[in-house]
Amino acid sequence: MLNTSFLHKQQTQFLKTAGAALFGLGIWQLLACIVQWTRGIPFPTPFDCLLSLQGLLNGSLFLDFTIYEHTLASCLRWFIGFNIAFGAGVLYAFAAFCFSFFRALSMPTVEVLQLIPGLAWVPVVILLFGLGPTATLAIIVFTTFPVIAISTFMGFSNVDTDHVRVGRMCGYGFWGIFKSIYFPAALPHILSGTRIAMGTSWRVLVAAEMVVGSGQGLGFAIIQSRWTMDYASSFACIVIIALIGLALERFVFVPLEQHTIKRWKPADEN
Amino acid sequence: MEALSIPELTVQKGEFLAVIGPSGSGKSTLINLIAGFFLPSQGTIYKEDTEIQGAGPDRVVVFQKHALFPWLTAFENVAYGLRRQNISAKELQEQVEHALAMVGLLPFAQAYPASLSGGMCQRVALARALILKPDILLLDEPLASLDTATRFRLQDEILQLWKTQNWTVILVTHQLDEAVYMADRIALLYSPPQGLAQILDVPVPRARDRNAIQLKQLTEQLANTLGSNSFRNAY
Repeated sequence: MLNTSFLHKQQTQFLKTAGAALFGLGIWQLLACIVQWTRGIPFPTPFDCLLSLQGLLNGSLFLDFTIYEHTLASCLRWFIGFNIAFGAGVLYAFAAFCFSFFRALSMPTVEVLQLIPGLAWVPVVILLFGLGPTATLAIIVFTTFPVIAISTFMGFSNVDTDHVRVGRMCGYGFWGIFKSIYFPAALPHILSGTRIAMGTSWRVLVAAEMVVGSGQGLGFAIIQSRWTMDYASSFACIVIIALIGLALERFVFVPLEQHTIKRWKPADEN
Repeated sequence: MEALSIPELTVQKGEFLAVIGPSGSGKSTLINLIAGFFLPSQGTIYKEDTEIQGAGPDRVVVFQKHALFPWLTAFENVAYGLRRQNISAKELQEQVEHALAMVGLLPFAQAYPASLSGGMCQRVALARALILKPDILLLDEPLASLDTATRFRLQDEILQLWKTQNWTVILVTHQLDEAVYMADRIALLYSPPQGLAQILDVPVPRARDRNAIQLKQLTEQLANTLGSNSFRNAY
């Protein structure tokens, strides 16, 4: 009985997912047909895209590199930039939380940084680092850092005073209280900040690769296909970008939240 | 501005003192001062012969909003204070389970606070307090947000623990009947600048009957005393 209902549930889940995928692909197909018909342009359909994706995955070169090299270049660049920004953001938030003078001095600047759209950094990073991979990395750091810094700082400052008092009366010192109270209390804020920052930085990376010449990477590949007219391949790159974003969400964030903050919330809020 | 003014107040070892007064009369400030969360702007507080200069596990507070850590299970919340001390894992488990059993929550050891009711959370907070074996237990309106039946049951449980644990208890409350039922003495606090106005004895032997006519009379008398002052206006 239980087994059948479980199967049934899986079946519905599968149908739902399949339906959602068909809906999205259907819109794409429809759009492709309309464009082909009205403008007479070979707009790649999902099927074209699948074929070129297959070719790319089989190792055919796309702009001097395989798709694996492009993807790896983007992921690596993103991973390094994101980690630098994450480390710096958490450290900054901690320092700002501990020293109110430093906070008053520096927080307005960080808040202003957060308001600057990622691509607006392009002239700045070109002046700072010239055209090249470092510039792309710098754009990621500049856009990710304020998001992490501010959300982590918010997390620290929203800690319940009574919780800190519990730590004090149990005899914990500064580090003990920080580890056992401030950090877990701020974790929901840090996670949601990280989630936003991951999305932002991934998007900015792709855009930055288009503008700041980097020779390799998914964004570079997409924008370069203008010259080769290989639109199906560039669409395939877009699909890869979307899939990586989806994988991050499904396989990193959802499990992370389920193991931490979901358990702390009242059952009816889940 | 002064939040609280107390010329002198001595609490005997093992005594159960209730503190009542309107909101803003500095009841919680008194608790925070004794707990050592902050220092008085004037004067000193002594515990036995030593001046209180900071928080410590000898004076434990049970807060109005239980202040359990939502990211820890009931077990870990109770164990929190012991983790600071160097004791073996086995002994820690024994002590925590004993404390949880004393408040009747052993079956819920692995539950997170979010899945427990208000009364159960307050019991966990009580277990967290009693595991530290404090000399002074400071109760900052811990029962204020509970329903009447749960409040009565927890009042009796606290009295039971007080009898067995040799605590000195200072209970802040705004329920006159609660103060009369539980305390040996009742301190009346008025809003500043009046401060501590009066200390009343509750000369009723234990174990008390909640519905005893003597307690009812005392509650009424207390209400009248307070009513003749600014106390009633504050409500």
